[in-house]
Amino acid sequence: MNATPPTNTAPLAGELTVEWLQVAELAELRRANRKKVMVAGTPVVLFLIGGRVFALRDACVHKQRPLSRGTILHGKVVCPGHQWKFDPETGQAEDSDKCQPVYAVRVDGGHVYLNPQERVPDTVSRG
Amino acid sequence: MNAVTRIAVVGAGQAAAVAARALRRRGFDGAIEIIGAETHRPYQRPPLSKEFLADGADGDGADSDLFLLPADWCEANDVRLRLGQEATRVDSAAGAVELTDGTRVPADAVLIATGGRPRRLTTSGPRVHYLRTLDDARRLRERLVPEARVIVAGAGFIGAEVAATARGLGADVTVIEPREAPLLPLLGTRVGAACAELHRANGTRLRLGAAVESVEETTAGVLVTARGERIEGDVLVVGIGIVPNDEVAARSGIAVADGVVTDEYCRASVPNVFAAGDVARHFHPLFGERIRAEHFDSASRQAAVAAGAILGGARAYDDPYWFWSDQYDASLQYAGHAAGSDEIVVRGSLEDLDFCAFYLRDGVLRGAFGIDRGAEVAAARELISQRRAVPPRALADEETDLTELAEPAELAEPTEPTEPAGAAGPETVPPETDEPTARGNIT
Repeated sequence: MNATPPTNTAPLAGELTVEWLQVAELAELRRANRKKVMVAGTPVVLFLIGGRVFALRDACVHKQRPLSRGTILHGKVVCPGHQWKFDPETGQAEDSDKCQPVYAVRVDGGHVYLNPQERVPDTVSRG
Repeated sequence: MNAVTRIAVVGAGQAAAVAARALRRRGFDGAIEIIGAETHRPYQRPPLSKEFLADGADGDGADSDLFLLPADWCEANDVRLRLGQEATRVDSAAGAVELTDGTRVPADAVLIATGGRPRRLTTSGPRVHYLRTLDDARRLRERLVPEARVIVAGAGFIGAEVAATARGLGADVTVIEPREAPLLPLLGTRVGAACAELHRANGTRLRLGAAVESVEETTAGVLVTARGERIEGDVLVVGIGIVPNDEVAARSGIAVADGVVTDEYCRASVPNVFAAGDVARHFHPLFGERIRAEHFDSASRQAAVAAGAILGGARAYDDPYWFWSDQYDASLQYAGHAAGSDEIVVRGSLEDLDFCAFYLRDGVLRGAFGIDRGAEVAAARELISQRRAVPPRALADEETDLTELAEPAELAEPTEPTEPAGAAGPETVPPETDEPTARGNIT
């Protein structure tokens, strides 16, 4: 695998030891700006938002509804179940302390790679 | 205006809790007292007809999730709860709220957030239930056991959610509704019929066009007569609407009209008095009329606006209404204010219970209702708030991403040339670049 450093996420401790998984082609995200993938048995949704690819666990932290059936409004991921809004990069919910698990993503040569290690809320810098 | 130093909130529900948090978040450091008729700390009501009720007779573990203002938060934020106490009068001239026990709570601003109470049948008894409070929900869930024969009067949201929850617990459920379809005044005949089908598909019996004529409790159960039919059950749940608790306002010389009348900033007719939530008949700038909404989301947002107005802010509550109703495995959502629409456009299939219905007036979107269409309803909220004229064919077309009609062009994703969103009008400015490579993680 090419060792291009990720450009859309801050480096995290231990990241370099993690194997990046190729999970999708960028072209696959273009049509609906999203794609569902499975990562080690966990459903993950990739979103193409403002030219960047983000990955979130595809079961809302609130009531486990699939975010892949939601929408993107003003750069936020909106859950279809109860309209919780999440920052796609940090997973931080609007109007709540909760965080949706997110994954680091990088795109290289049209391929989308994902770091399968979920980023837990404590490592996320809050805006 | 003199600075506000003491705020009293009459009522201790969702709006009260949001207002207290909003006041502290905005830096208000004076006294906050919340006066609640119930003995419970402020709690959320939406789960009472859903998850909380579904927990069944032995459920109790999740109760703590219900509470909105935990004791440690109140202590840390110096918010005083006066529970089990009712306000009898707001004396805004003297700056006080009078309680039934004679206490006068000093306040230079008062938020009335007293909510409502269920409209009742004339018959009462241990098998006739209403669902509004935590105690109501605790009593009712004792009854919702497998094989229980549950009769629900009223196919509105409370009735529908109770029916769905009871079915989920294995009960036998019959819903009686005087109109020809559930939610008919809100959604119209065709969409209401789809909601009826959702009930039938999940094994709930419906008696439509059938008003409750009599209710009789027997030792073995409850006997309901509706349109001449005798229906026997173990329990009757009545969900026929609420009455706003506006008496304290009326007694205090504050204008009421089926709710406490407010302007768009949630200000009542008397200086330094505000109202939010189910009790407020609020002037909604988006729809140009006074509306008393009974939703969690509007209660929360009105409370935040009222908190701002108390502190001298000037932000109106002008968001489209929004609510959800989880029934069976379906997610029902509604946005805006469908009343007064002259055109309904459906995307998806009413028959398959997978649709979003859009309500327009003069071509402008004002309401949306969907089953398992949270994405469309989210986009509709945005379009409604922007008072956007949306071409009906774009609304009906599954391939049109409604967010692209709503969002400012600079935030929108570049669209394919075949995208029908081009019909949207002036907002769909072509993207400046074809490839989103200028920034971000695509290398």
